[in-house]
Amino acid sequence: MNAASTSLPGLRLDRPSFAAVAEAELDAVHRYLLFLTADRAAAEDLTADTFEKAFRSWRRYDPRRASPRTWLCQIARTTALDHFRAEERRRRREERYARDMPANEEQSPGEGLLERALGELTPAEREVVALRVLLELDGPVTARLLGISPTACSTRLSRALKRLEETMTDVRA
Amino acid sequence: MSAPETTDFEREFESLVRDLRAMPNEAPDELRSRVRELGEPVSARRLGGFFARRSLLVLAPACLLALVGAAIVHGLLSSSGSPRQAVSAEHVRGALRSRAGGATHARGRAPLAPAPARVQDYQASLRIRVEDLDALSTGTSDAMRVTRRLGGYVASVEYATPAGGPGEADLMLRVPVAHVQDALLQLAGLGAVVEQHVSIRDLQQLVQRQRKQIFDLRLFVARATKTLENPSLPADVRLRLELQLEDAKRSLAAATGRNATTLRQASLSRISLSLTTQKTLAAVTKHHDSRALRAIRGAGDFLASAGAIALYVLIVLSPLVLLLVAWLYGLRVYRRREERRLLAQG
Repeated sequence: MNAASTSLPGLRLDRPSFAAVAEAELDAVHRYLLFLTADRAAAEDLTADTFEKAFRSWRRYDPRRASPRTWLCQIARTTALDHFRAEERRRRREERYARDMPANEEQSPGEGLLERALGELTPAEREVVALRVLLELDGPVTARLLGISPTACSTRLSRALKRLEETMTDVRA
Repeated sequence: MSAPETTDFEREFESLVRDLRAMPNEAPDELRSRVRELGEPVSARRLGGFFARRSLLVLAPACLLALVGAAIVHGLLSSSGSPRQAVSAEHVRGALRSRAGGATHARGRAPLAPAPARVQDYQASLRIRVEDLDALSTGTSDAMRVTRRLGGYVASVEYATPAGGPGEADLMLRVPVAHVQDALLQLAGLGAVVEQHVSIRDLQQLVQRQRKQIFDLRLFVARATKTLENPSLPADVRLRLELQLEDAKRSLAAATGRNATTLRQASLSRISLSLTTQKTLAAVTKHHDSRALRAIRGAGDFLASAGAIALYVLIVLSPLVLLLVAWLYGLRVYRRREERRLLAQG
């Protein structure tokens, strides 16, 4: 099925097709995961995992409750958190058996000045920047997705952007 | 969307936001083709899910309606079943219930007769409606006359005709058991029988026990008397035997008295007769109403039972539910905290 929407006569359902949603939101989800993980390879894997999960649970998606982007970001976030947990367990295991090995440096989303400055932020800060600035989700939706209040979301965004700006100034200097 | 806030950060960090949005973050072609390969999920399952959710919304009120329906059916069945049970009980007791003008009907049906070969305690109560105060007076006199003619007597009479209320006459009659059936039929003829209750208690075994006890005591008295006639009886034995003889004579007198009382009780039946001028219409209306009331009461009882079961289940399960809720809440708090930690450290 292409970009056409799925409509069930009499049931007042007007759903976009999964393929159309995937095509439209792939870049957004990838961008969000890239910011969240700061790891290009991990972001690609997690994006693929996210869409596979979304494919399996597509029948449960309710367009009246959330936009496709919000719904996909929710799945992506859960997938990324699972990834972080797994990574943490792996790191602990490795630290236990190979204490002398140097720890992996966290990668930045890119090689430029801005990318390096982003690498200085915490994943939580990068996440709110990605959702609000890049994906352009509104405040209440982002807050709901992150499980925090709109005020906390706004504060976190403001702090992240300020810190990003300061870091870039420092790096330039 | 909160427009002022969006405007604020876009204005405040204008250059930074522009740079962030200009970053090349498109998904690589390989990833895009992997996602495209997923294709389209089957939409029929979605339809099933839709109806499953709708059916859940319908299920709760449907269950409630079914419960109420079951209660109504139960009430109706129990209300229609009660009269049959009453008839059965009536048959067993030999009661002469009359709906209206019961005098003629009552005459046609004989009450339970006492068994002539056995000793029985026979008790009966009769409630009879008469037309007016004159009939009440006549009926009371007739009842007393019938009792005396059959060899019985009137133990007590209460006669009252309060102003504005129905007249009542309550009589306690003692009639020989041999004539009780005749007495009941004649008393039933005084008016319309509203209610009759007959109780028969068998005293045959009690009388036999008393007779055996009397026989044994008499035998002992005879033997003891004979023994005491012996002049060579030792003094101490004689004394003990004389004491036992005195006891036996006292017991014999008491046992004989009890036996006489039982036989007297069994020879005379007790009939409690109530004559009233209260109109039957009330009783008939009550009868019709009572079926509807019985149905409502039956339905109410059913719902109350269902409620009690639900309450019991709730009470039993509530600690488990509370534990489950607490566990889920704790899990949620733990996951939130862990998320914050993970996202804070990277």
